Amino acid sequence: MLIPALLFAMFAGIAIGCSLGVIFHRNPVHCALMLVGVLLSVSGLFILLNASFLAALQVLVYAGAIMVLFLFVLMLLNLKGESPLLTRGAAKGFGILFAIVVFVELLWTVLSPQLEGGMATPPTVPTGFGSPAAIGRVLYTVWLYPFEITSILLLIAVIGAVVLAKRKFG
Amino acid sequence: MDTAFLIESAIKVHIVLGFVLLGVPLIVWMERKVLGHMQDRIGPERVGPFGLLQTIADGIKLFMKEDLVPAQADKAVFILAPAITVVTALIATTVIPWGDTVTLFGRTIPLHIADVNVALLFVLATTSMGVFGVVLGGWASNSKYPLLGGLRSSAQMISYELAQGISLVSVVLLAGTLSLTQIARQQAHMWYVVPQFFGFAIYVISAIAETNRAPFDLPEAETELVAGFHTEYSSMKWAFYFLGEYANMMVVSGVAITVFLGGWNGPVLPPVVWFLIKLTAFLFFFIWLRATFPRLRYDQLMAFGWKVLLPASILNLVLTAIVVVL
Repeated sequence: MLIPALLFAMFAGIAIGCSLGVIFHRNPVHCALMLVGVLLSVSGLFILLNASFLAALQVLVYAGAIMVLFLFVLMLLNLKGESPLLTRGAAKGFGILFAIVVFVELLWTVLSPQLEGGMATPPTVPTGFGSPAAIGRVLYTVWLYPFEITSILLLIAVIGAVVLAKRKFG
Repeated sequence: MDTAFLIESAIKVHIVLGFVLLGVPLIVWMERKVLGHMQDRIGPERVGPFGLLQTIADGIKLFMKEDLVPAQADKAVFILAPAITVVTALIATTVIPWGDTVTLFGRTIPLHIADVNVALLFVLATTSMGVFGVVLGGWASNSKYPLLGGLRSSAQMISYELAQGISLVSVVLLAGTLSLTQIARQQAHMWYVVPQFFGFAIYVISAIAETNRAPFDLPEAETELVAGFHTEYSSMKWAFYFLGEYANMMVVSGVAITVFLGGWNGPVLPPVVWFLIKLTAFLFFFIWLRATFPRLRYDQLMAFGWKVLLPASILNLVLTAIVVVL
């Protein structure tokens, strides 16, 4: 039991530290790198939860592909000082609001099983849990409609990108 | 997690690490020798027998050199970038099986460091992280040629990663597993290169692009970009990029052998020897390509990746899926 607990503490610690780094670093490229750190440590947490397929996809898609595109854009624009989207007061207000919402949500998730009599034993992991086959089966049966709608959403984004790129300016 | 398992793993980690780190100077020597003879020269011959120690001497020279960091560079990222290249390549070697199980002192020992049930995705994930080494190195140098080289390479590697991944998925459809050990075991009678010849061709082409080797070495095209993303690097940091590139060549060759060329399977000789023979042959093929083909132009490279290779790999995947279902 000791080794998983230590690993959890390590990954969780890195995730929290990197998340703070994303917020507090001034340089956008450093922020993006910190975000990569968050994504990698979250994929470590996935492995601890027996979801190695999800962990591999997290690294492959988010850390490997999407973050490289982020970096690509940041490097092309070469942002030195970021221009704030909101005024300082508005940003503070939104920040406090979202922090309270997320905190209440987390508190509810943690406390609700306790209020309903408590979880005596954590649910057992079924065999093959988190394997590509199991995820594929669930994705194409139970969650078929959300899955297909997501694919249409992505297709719209692709078409939108092509339309924007092909537009003649001036 | 018993002690014997930990000791066994530690020994295997040392063997693989030592093999890769000692293998890289050998590959560099082989590359220089083979290129030399293909271009009607002799190649290195002064240091050691047949020039074998030439790379070692070069390595010592690089150690001794002054380590420069440009004044305008982002120092932390500048140091981090070459390390990412090497570390991601080394991590990927953990899941490549170099033989079936052997029995020693009553223990059955599988000949790979970690048996991950999603090994193939693991390799793809770690190699996709390798892009960061090149991109960040180019950016952190804070100089125009490295930046251009870094941008080129990020575009190139992302484009070719897609075709590479999809060509591997076709084999996964046939094999029904993502475990490299099981994929290799299934090829005892027929290698997957036979039913998946197009998949193999697509994989090899995109693997060369992925490792930035000629004729796809656009990120460091010296005639236009000085030396691309590593222009500002010197001494051991530069050597790390070099090491990473050759370690990556070993990884993509190892995956190609395991997935398409039967892994360790072969008659008469022991499995590990077969794996090494195939690895050497594949690396020779890499060098042969470099000696044969001129470098592509950048727009040709991107057009080839997106308009030829990606559609071809998707077509191959669809056809394979139809055959598997029937």
